[in-house]
Amino acid sequence: MAEKLLEIRKLTVGFVTDKGLVKATDEISLSIRQGQTVCLVGESGSGKSVTSLAVMRLIDYAGGVIADGSIEYHGQDLALKSQEEMRHIRGNRIAMIFQDPMSSLNPVFTVGEQIAESLRLHQNMSGDKAWNAAVDMLRTVGIPAPEIRAKQYPHELSGGMCQRVVIAIALACKPELLIADEPTTALDVTVQAQILDLLRKLQAELGMSILLITHDMGVAAEMADRVAVMYAGAIVEEGPVEDIFNTPSHPYTVGLLQSIPGFEGERGRELYTIRGTIPPIGQLPDGCRFHPRCPHAMDICRQKEPFDFLVGDGDDHRAACWLFEDRPVALVDGRGGRDEVKRA
Amino acid sequence: MTEYLVRRLLQSVLVIFLITVATFLLIHAAPGGPTQVMLAPGLSPEAMAQQKANMGLDKPIPIQYIKWVGGLLKGDLGYTFKNHIPVGDLLWPRMANTLILMGAAWFVSLIIAIPWGIYNSTREYGLSDQTSSFISYLGFAMPSFWFGILLQQWLSLELDWFPLSDMHSRGKEGDIGDLFMHLVLPVSVLALGFLASYLKYARASMLEVLDQDYIRTARAKGVKERKVVFRHALRNALIPVITVIGLDLPILVSGAVLTENVFNWPGMGRFYVENALAREYSVLMAITIVTAVIVIIGNLLADILYAVVDPRVKISGKGGKSA
Amino acid sequence: MSDMKAETSAGAGTDPLVAAPFGLPPESYDPSPAILSQRPPGPWRMLWSKFSRNPYAMTGLVVLTFFVVMALLAPFISKYEPSRIDMMFANLKPGTDGHLLGTDELGRDIFTRLLYSARISLLIGFSVAFASVFIGSIVGAVSGYFGGWVDTIFMRLVDVMNSVPTLFLNILVLAIFSSEIKYMIMILAFTSWMSIARLVRGNFLQLREMQYVEAARAIGVSNWGIIFRHLLRNGSFPIIVNATLMVGSAILSESALSFLGLGIQAPATSWGVMLSNAQEFMLVDKLQALYPGLCILLVVLAVNFIGDGIRDALDPRQSMSKTRRRLKLWRKNYSKSGN
Repeated sequence: MAEKLLEIRKLTVGFVTDKGLVKATDEISLSIRQGQTVCLVGESGSGKSVTSLAVMRLIDYAGGVIADGSIEYHGQDLALKSQEEMRHIRGNRIAMIFQDPMSSLNPVFTVGEQIAESLRLHQNMSGDKAWNAAVDMLRTVGIPAPEIRAKQYPHELSGGMCQRVVIAIALACKPELLIADEPTTALDVTVQAQILDLLRKLQAELGMSILLITHDMGVAAEMADRVAVMYAGAIVEEGPVEDIFNTPSHPYTVGLLQSIPGFEGERGRELYTIRGTIPPIGQLPDGCRFHPRCPHAMDICRQKEPFDFLVGDGDDHRAACWLFEDRPVALVDGRGGRDEVKRA
Repeated sequence: MTEYLVRRLLQSVLVIFLITVATFLLIHAAPGGPTQVMLAPGLSPEAMAQQKANMGLDKPIPIQYIKWVGGLLKGDLGYTFKNHIPVGDLLWPRMANTLILMGAAWFVSLIIAIPWGIYNSTREYGLSDQTSSFISYLGFAMPSFWFGILLQQWLSLELDWFPLSDMHSRGKEGDIGDLFMHLVLPVSVLALGFLASYLKYARASMLEVLDQDYIRTARAKGVKERKVVFRHALRNALIPVITVIGLDLPILVSGAVLTENVFNWPGMGRFYVENALAREYSVLMAITIVTAVIVIIGNLLADILYAVVDPRVKISGKGGKSA
Repeated sequence: MSDMKAETSAGAGTDPLVAAPFGLPPESYDPSPAILSQRPPGPWRMLWSKFSRNPYAMTGLVVLTFFVVMALLAPFISKYEPSRIDMMFANLKPGTDGHLLGTDELGRDIFTRLLYSARISLLIGFSVAFASVFIGSIVGAVSGYFGGWVDTIFMRLVDVMNSVPTLFLNILVLAIFSSEIKYMIMILAFTSWMSIARLVRGNFLQLREMQYVEAARAIGVSNWGIIFRHLLRNGSFPIIVNATLMVGSAILSESALSFLGLGIQAPATSWGVMLSNAQEFMLVDKLQALYPGLCILLVVLAVNFIGDGIRDALDPRQSMSKTRRRLKLWRKNYSKSGN
């Protein structure tokens, strides 16, 4: 198995308010291996974007803090790095693309300039060389007539084109890890598929890992090697993509999969919905964070927060649910996850 | 772009036309009309009629209006009632004096406000930010003429650092150093007023831009924070600031009424007040029109500047402004 | 933007028929009973609770109240008459003969004149704000509600008004129609309604899109009925903010016009008149210029603080920026990396 590129351990990210630290993510653990695509799925407000910003250490600018835990990248803890140190990693070794491509591009610079800037920053390229590389990059991401497009401003391009430009900026320095935060949400369905194809193709070419953040189970099924399901700031289930879709274990994951309108399903069937709404950060219920919405809630769920337990036969599919109490992760394997030792 | 400019130009012409009508009607709505004041009192009815005819005031109002506007188009601003001097001869030198005063104040406040406001946006609620917000509050609430009087009492009468009033010392017309000394106090008063709003605008605009997605993209690229502010944010933040400044251009001509009166500066503002007190309507009308035209040119200039800074305006010409 | 498929139907979660495929009682989900059981406080009370926690706004309110009370009780506070000339007692120093702030060059008691000036300034400030809200609301409401050519005409009018420097227009009108208080209020209102009109118009453009207007029309409510009720219900808070700030600028304009000799005329008095007087006698008495200017500054600052206080109380983002400020102070304690 390929080496671990990024290992997030018990990461707690929060926002400081009148009432102290409000946790947006609560001791989440996740690892990404080289060349792998890991999908982080969850509703809005579940903390998946916060997680991605924390890895980039951009959370500092969004008003949040990494309160606890570590983000290990090549054996170094990113959570301890200064912004100046992070600067050499961001856009160079780890790159990120965001949800809304139109607003992610600076309106007063041509797209060529915006790509070339990355190259000048990290690859010591000079003016002309960087520009030519930027044009090449535009060609790589499938933009026709890149020489002309490079000289245009973002508002002259369509949404799909803009997202290609954003990808070109991110991949200009051939990063090891690409974090894509809802890269297709703002786009038309037909364009979505094109962008996903492009990402897959580039991943194969560059051998990079992808941390894909999405709310769309369909996207996850198509792209992921592993899927982590987030709910209200915690990863409630994590495992290989086949396991998650074939044998979903956590009641939340089950609910999510049932609420997808299947196109071969009979029409007129009442769509499944998960009752209630995700609690706002800082207002978590006692016990399991999902118990108020859980159809299987037991007494213990209302009192005690579940640890990570292994499910199925393998040792790489975990769920934080009392239904699977018999195989705590910590006892099987020394890696991450919520374990009793810390909690008690 | 051209189409956009032409449309704006046509709109401006319409607005100017409406202003001439409004001003003209306003003057003629005055109790007794312009005649009351213009004519020497105690004239016999025949003499009065004669004088009216001389000045064209016996004609119907629409004819009078057309004659007046016709004159304006030829650059003829009319004549003073009292001594029958061409208004333009009196007006242009005073406008130049006002421009000197306001231009200096404007320049000083801009070079202070923009860097300072931007600095404050990166250090919200710091000492410097609090100071500038204090200055803004003061600038908005303090009567400028009072501030002027206080400065006169303190820096001129008490400490004798700067001359009390006027534009030149006697016999020193054309002496730049002397002019500079005379400028210091009124410029301080005016600059405080400008600073009050420019500081706020620069800071608010910058803060808004720093919150945008493309700033996050720049940071995600690994751009240095200093470059994020100066390269990626500044140009975007200046776009709305330029609009505000463009809208302020007319104040360069008209805005110094109070300061000019306090410091006895021979500019447009003081000229206007003198003529208002003397009820020299032709002068008042002329100044109103001239300033209105300048206001509108200022707005147009702001739009053009906008197009220079913001690439979105060039192509569409229409919607692009709502950035 | 709706995220997550489960969330798009979140509203239905409270419906027991849609939910519970696993057959669980719906009451098991109760996010926070304390919040649900309380009736949400009304908009005015919410406003006040935020406003009263803003020290600047409260100081402003206290200062303004102080000036209003002093102005109302002027005859009871001072035994002197504001414009009585007595050359025997000219230019007295503060404190002599019961003249709290001394007398001016004509022997008039300065403190008394300040009191009576406050009456004029506050009267003009509030009347102008009131009148321009009236004009602006009507123009804005009609313009936004009816749209079309009505809107075009009114908005061109706003353009015209904005193109003439306000002070010039005020001076022009006061020069044409003598400087009586009623003309002054009228012209100041006439040159300051535009911002309110814009505000109200924007509000009404939204209103036109709303469903309940159709409903109101359907049950036979007249256009004017709809306009009026909507204005009171939905547009009032931003208008209040704008009107409050307008009180301050009207007071400034009044003092400026009076200072120029085009506003309040002797024997009546106002802070602007007093300042104009003080400038003339600057060499004789330096303090004379201090008091009236300070009064203007305090009242206008007070009014602006109140206006900003209301605006901040209405702005949901305001609490964010406070958080941001604290965050800067506290984040070191929470941050793992210490930066």
